[in-house]
Amino acid sequence: MARIRFQSVTKRYANGATAVAGLDLDIADQEFLVLLGPSGCGKSTTLNMIAGLEEISEGALLFDDRTMNNVPAHRRDVAMVFQSYALYPHKSVFENIAFGLRMRRVPEPELRRRVMDAAAKLEIAHLLERRPSQLSGGQRQRVALGRAMVREPSVFLMDEPLSNLDASLRISMRAQIRHLHAQMHSTFVYVTHDQAEALTLADRIVVMRDGTIQQIGSPDDIYERPANLFVASFLGSPAINLLEGALETIGGTLCFRRGALTVPLPACFRGDAREVVLGLRPEDVGPATSEAAQIHGVVDTAMPAGSDQFLGVAVEGAMLFLRVPKDVRVREGEPIGFGLTESRLHLFDRTTGRSLRRAA
Amino acid sequence: MRAVTHDERAAAGLLAGLVAVLMAVTAFPILYSLWISLFAVNLRRPNRMPFVGLDNYIAVLSSPAFWGSVGRTALFSALAVAAILVIATLVALLLDQEFPGRRILSACLLIPWAIPSVVNGLMWKWIYDSNYGALNGLLLQLGFIGSATIWLGDSNRTLPLIANAFIWKEVPLAAILLLVTLKSIPADLYGAAAVDGAPAWRRFFAITLPALRPGFLLVTLYEAMMAVRHFDLFFLLTEGGPGGASDVVAWRIYVETFRNLSFGTGAAMSYILAIATLLMSYALIRGMARTL
Repeated sequence: MARIRFQSVTKRYANGATAVAGLDLDIADQEFLVLLGPSGCGKSTTLNMIAGLEEISEGALLFDDRTMNNVPAHRRDVAMVFQSYALYPHKSVFENIAFGLRMRRVPEPELRRRVMDAAAKLEIAHLLERRPSQLSGGQRQRVALGRAMVREPSVFLMDEPLSNLDASLRISMRAQIRHLHAQMHSTFVYVTHDQAEALTLADRIVVMRDGTIQQIGSPDDIYERPANLFVASFLGSPAINLLEGALETIGGTLCFRRGALTVPLPACFRGDAREVVLGLRPEDVGPATSEAAQIHGVVDTAMPAGSDQFLGVAVEGAMLFLRVPKDVRVREGEPIGFGLTESRLHLFDRTTGRSLRRAA
Repeated sequence: MRAVTHDERAAAGLLAGLVAVLMAVTAFPILYSLWISLFAVNLRRPNRMPFVGLDNYIAVLSSPAFWGSVGRTALFSALAVAAILVIATLVALLLDQEFPGRRILSACLLIPWAIPSVVNGLMWKWIYDSNYGALNGLLLQLGFIGSATIWLGDSNRTLPLIANAFIWKEVPLAAILLLVTLKSIPADLYGAAAVDGAPAWRRFFAITLPALRPGFLLVTLYEAMMAVRHFDLFFLLTEGGPGGASDVVAWRIYVETFRNLSFGTGAAMSYILAIATLLMSYALIRGMARTL
């Protein structure tokens, strides 16, 4: 059981650089929380502070109601999977997995049972006598998971554990990590810069940038209702289209204007900014119908992408990337019209970058 | 047959000079000393140089005095290598920490290593001197001894004292070799062990020591080879004395060759020492490589 709370936590290094600034975060017991952000955003530092591998400069870190600031790593009930796996090179796979249990003086029969159980679950039972140097990347990754699993910790930390694996293995390991979370009744904190990993694994995602939290929410919240321009552009592949323009009220309806383009906006947006940015995800367009708002432009490029195709469409001096079904017939240089799904539009204040969506 | 390319010809031409010099100054003396070790060469009878086959080797190996010097060489080497390993490990661990003045300390550490062997020998001769030596001065002033001691005149102390001078000179290189090994240990390993519940001393035994093994192998091998063949300090400090207490193999080779002018026996001893060093190194590499 562990609820983890950061209360105004700041991490400052000796050279004056601030890695994390005034972090407030409440992680529920048994939650799967993903810290997501570009490199240098402070996500790994945050994880290391939970593990006790980084000292906290200011603020408090609590596990349940116990302040952990000065509790050394080896006295915290946490297990961690490192990006580099950090397997002990001089120990066999068995001893790697058993090390944490030996440190806790688990009796030998139970230790063997737990190591064998974990090895069986991870399908590495045949590798127990080998050294880490004799394993493939995927096998090492599973040994690292096994080493953390056998501890049955109340907090399970993972620092980009899949980033050294190839794409197909990464997807199957994601499923394995989900299973692990379902079985273990531990609080999981997972660090990644890979949005797909975050969206598939998390109960909640914390998007970070420059040591501060940009948004906390469910994967749906983060993707569908990004709090600011950074979150909107960090998630989504290809990235969200951003069109700069102005807000006008035409016939009582709030509209986005850019040159000849006018897009009526749904009532969920506030009209308290003049300079705005309209966000449109590549997949959020449909056929041009009379009811929907429409965008007209000229096809610049058409790129088949398996089941779909990506179109580059020039609209009012900007280039929009759209994802449309493969059977839409288009030719480069020809005009094209699309319908917008109003409810899936995003609108941001151009000055502050904040979303203009009204709080639900 | 494959034609020799232009590049290969050019390479051969460029290397030829170097190879010729190496042959003249290395290969020739090595082969020539092997040759003369098979003859009874004594400069006091330069005109008589009979071929004696392995007689020189047999004479050396059946001489109790030679085996006495082998024992002293082994004792000296074991003392020196063990102390170098322990002290260099401690120094490397210290220099692996971040603290103010670490760079200056690292630079100072290199001084003994940079001092030429002869200067090092003369310096320690002064330090150990019974009349004006710094060691007597220090111990007298601190009250540890009541009167000046003739340090190198005590046969029980001679080998440890020479080993001490040898250790002083050799520790810097050994410490740097071990420091390089320490620096190559990924920080994540310590993080992983800490999270696994290992306190600092367990992390040292579980991660640092095993990771240092290649460094230990290198240091043991290099320092053992240096110690077994060491000559300078024995020549400068004691000349094999007192009463043969520091009569090691390297010293005996010198005496036999350049004082007794018995080149045949001296060459045979040199070969025995070289082969023994080779066998020792081989055994060390085999033994320690298995644990890597």
